[in-house]
Amino acid sequence: MKKFMMILIALMVLVSASYGADKPKITIYTSMYEDVIEAMTEVLHEKFPNYDVEFFYGGTGTLQAKIAAERDTKKLGCDMLMVADPSYSLELKELGLLHPYITKEAKNIALEYDPEGYWYPVRNLNMVLAYNPEKYKKEELPQSFKDFAYDENMKGVISMSNPLTSGTALIAISALKNKYGYEYFDKLGANRVMIESGSVALTKLETGECKVIMILEESVLKKREEEDSELSVIYPTDGVICVPSPIMTIKDEWSAHGNSKICEELTDWFLSPEGQSYIVKGWMHSVLKNPPAIPYDSIQSSEIFKEAMPVDWAKCLSERTELRMNFEERVKSAK
Amino acid sequence: MKSNSQNRPLGAFFYLFNVKSLLIFVIAAFLIVFNLLPMCYLVFRSFVGENGFTLDAFKRIYTYPLNWNALKNTLFTAGFSMIFGVMIAFPLAWLIGRTDMYGRKFFRTLFVMTYMVPPYVGAMAWLRLLNPKAGTLNLLLVNMFGLSESPFNIYTTGGLIWVLTTFYYPYAFITISRALENMDPSLEEASKISGASPLRTVMTITFPIMLPSIIAAGLLVFISAASCYGIPSIIGAPGQIDTVTTRIIDYVYVGSSEGLNDATTLSVSLMLIANLVLYVSTFMTGRKKYITISGKSVRPNIVELGKWKLPVTFLVIIFAVIVVVIPFATVAMTSFTKNLGKPLSSSNFTMRYWDILFTRKAILDTIKNSLISASAAATFGIAISCVMAWLLTRTQAKGRHIPDYLITLGSGTPSIVIALGLIMTMSGRFGINIYNTLTIMIIAYMVKYMLMGMRTIVSAMSQIHPSLEEAALISGAEWQRGFRDITLPLIMPSVVAGWFLIFMPSFYELTMSTLLYSTNTKTIGYELFTYQTYHSQQTASAIATGILLMVVIVNWLLNKLTKGKFSI
Repeated sequence: MKKFMMILIALMVLVSASYGADKPKITIYTSMYEDVIEAMTEVLHEKFPNYDVEFFYGGTGTLQAKIAAERDTKKLGCDMLMVADPSYSLELKELGLLHPYITKEAKNIALEYDPEGYWYPVRNLNMVLAYNPEKYKKEELPQSFKDFAYDENMKGVISMSNPLTSGTALIAISALKNKYGYEYFDKLGANRVMIESGSVALTKLETGECKVIMILEESVLKKREEEDSELSVIYPTDGVICVPSPIMTIKDEWSAHGNSKICEELTDWFLSPEGQSYIVKGWMHSVLKNPPAIPYDSIQSSEIFKEAMPVDWAKCLSERTELRMNFEERVKSAK
Repeated sequence: MKSNSQNRPLGAFFYLFNVKSLLIFVIAAFLIVFNLLPMCYLVFRSFVGENGFTLDAFKRIYTYPLNWNALKNTLFTAGFSMIFGVMIAFPLAWLIGRTDMYGRKFFRTLFVMTYMVPPYVGAMAWLRLLNPKAGTLNLLLVNMFGLSESPFNIYTTGGLIWVLTTFYYPYAFITISRALENMDPSLEEASKISGASPLRTVMTITFPIMLPSIIAAGLLVFISAASCYGIPSIIGAPGQIDTVTTRIIDYVYVGSSEGLNDATTLSVSLMLIANLVLYVSTFMTGRKKYITISGKSVRPNIVELGKWKLPVTFLVIIFAVIVVVIPFATVAMTSFTKNLGKPLSSSNFTMRYWDILFTRKAILDTIKNSLISASAAATFGIAISCVMAWLLTRTQAKGRHIPDYLITLGSGTPSIVIALGLIMTMSGRFGINIYNTLTIMIIAYMVKYMLMGMRTIVSAMSQIHPSLEEAALISGAEWQRGFRDITLPLIMPSVVAGWFLIFMPSFYELTMSTLLYSTNTKTIGYELFTYQTYHSQQTASAIATGILLMVVIVNWLLNKLTKGKFSI
């Protein structure tokens, strides 16, 4: 037992000793993939050796719940946010939590940004459909979001993310509701859509359990490049749902470390062609007018923007709770 | 103890008496502050609105048919998991503890091992094996017997019960095994001498005597299954089967303050059910409690199975293969597979995910967090358990059953309720702010899992007759020395086992951690769940297999280092 306790104590000492380091710290809450986060952390470590930049992963909904709880304590756990849902930046701006900054890169941005500099889009995520050509033929599958929910042959073999935890899923259901009405949710329910996260859905596509899934383009591209997967994207004919995810800085009095000047530097870098090239390496589309590249195996960003399904960001925000509740009720209660 | 204290000066008597009261007070205070008060606050919040007492929150919650369904599903799945869990656990515990079946020690470790892996990992494995469209096992059965469709569908309440049962029966198995070890065998011997067959003895003697422990074990399974988040969120979500826990987490994620209120109200419902079950079972077991525990330390007799020995062992092997080997092998294989749609072959084989496990900082950080918080919870928890065991088995101290009851209450409280209560009360509202720290995790783990540790040590202590300690005292040893030289060495294996029973579930805990984690305190349980559901199932499988390997290695090391005395 003595030995046992000694080992335990030694372990604890070792662990606590590994803390430390006095560089100014920046914590970024983000919904980017852990793989992308890891690559980003390395690059930032090289580019900004004097700062300690740390990412904290969470689904957008999860992070929103977390920030709601943290607001109670008058201090947030982060300095910057890179979550998926653009409408969330409208809310945070309204609440007076954001730090405004006009970046010199603004003129190069192809998409809408806050003229007062409270938020900028930093990566474009595309909600698409995906299928597995090794198991099913493309012609037999829905080519649009509409058919995804309305095609009765797809009953029980479709899957999508949970708008309660995923910001992009929330935007998607908002856009689809605006286009097809709440009936769309009923149809999803009637088609027994499985509500689950991306990795689970992709596996089901691989094993053939699902025929077609609603998912972010980046997840499919990542699999294609990293795992030589055959899974393929269907760019829906009723328009890709583009989600220009923002980058925001928290005001010093609310932020975890009060280093807004450093956050400004980071904002500049993320929006620079160099920063954007790492976004593209992470299989997301650049937000610049002249994108440094397109993600592995994807199509031109401009082509996607042109055909995109319109999204009403203000509505996304004002209807957020209503959308989530309606989705829950309608999808789960459908017979 | 009473007789000993008479040998001492009066001062020492009062000293000891005060120490006892002080210990009882400290332990009780800890549980009152961190378990009872948060629970009371939740109840308060759900019944008291802006204009005083109201049932509005409950009315609103239960106007949603979804919530009624969730409640029904919870009771149904947890209830059946409890029944099946006990039906599996009792025969297994009896066969392994009291018969001459082959490989008892091996099976014991194997079944306890199930307790040591995160249940949601098993859920993932079963999902792969038994999904109706492409489940590996389903396809195999279809091909083998020429069926027209898949025999099993995991996305049903039946599927949910199956996975809950296979992952929570070890709780009952451990509890019942401990009680069997303590059982006075003289009645069984009497029955045997009177000519009853072993089966008849089990049915007429062993089972009735064990009933209180079986009820306690069933309760543990019920509460664990009812408050589990990982399994229903993985198995239930695709089939749109909600449970109260998944509804609560959903409400929290809706993000509005109304959502939080609804979550509170729902969790109060869950808590009331759990408390009711707890109360009934305590009431039923309360009066029979002491019949089973023998005053003397006697090794229970072993039943000879005779011609049944081989068939019974064979049955247990089949059970082990289905419940332990197949799902774990599936998880282990997943961790090496590139494309999960194809069989594992040399071109489809990769070590990438294992590489990620050992190199990714985010994962290593969460492992560190979990190691710290789980070790702390286990160490403090086992210390309290030792004190409680001493108070319960060796003293007549007044009020010693208060902390005992509070510890039982803690483990009988659904995890989600503990976490929600802690968040709402410990973020500065009442002068304590430990939200976003590891401390809040450690406390939550202790409240939830201390009971397993306490049971183990109480059971060990009650097996040691006080006469040994008295002998030490008579020979002139101080009680401290008697404790160190006699009691401690005898209960040490149980202390280590109890430590692990608290450590392991804390290490991979998910339900509470989902609500309590923060930037610097993300735990491996939550990280594993995120990988499982969001980033990459293969990485998640590598993490899970890693945890399992760690358990096996630690168990093996303990066994080796202590020459078979200590093991999980």
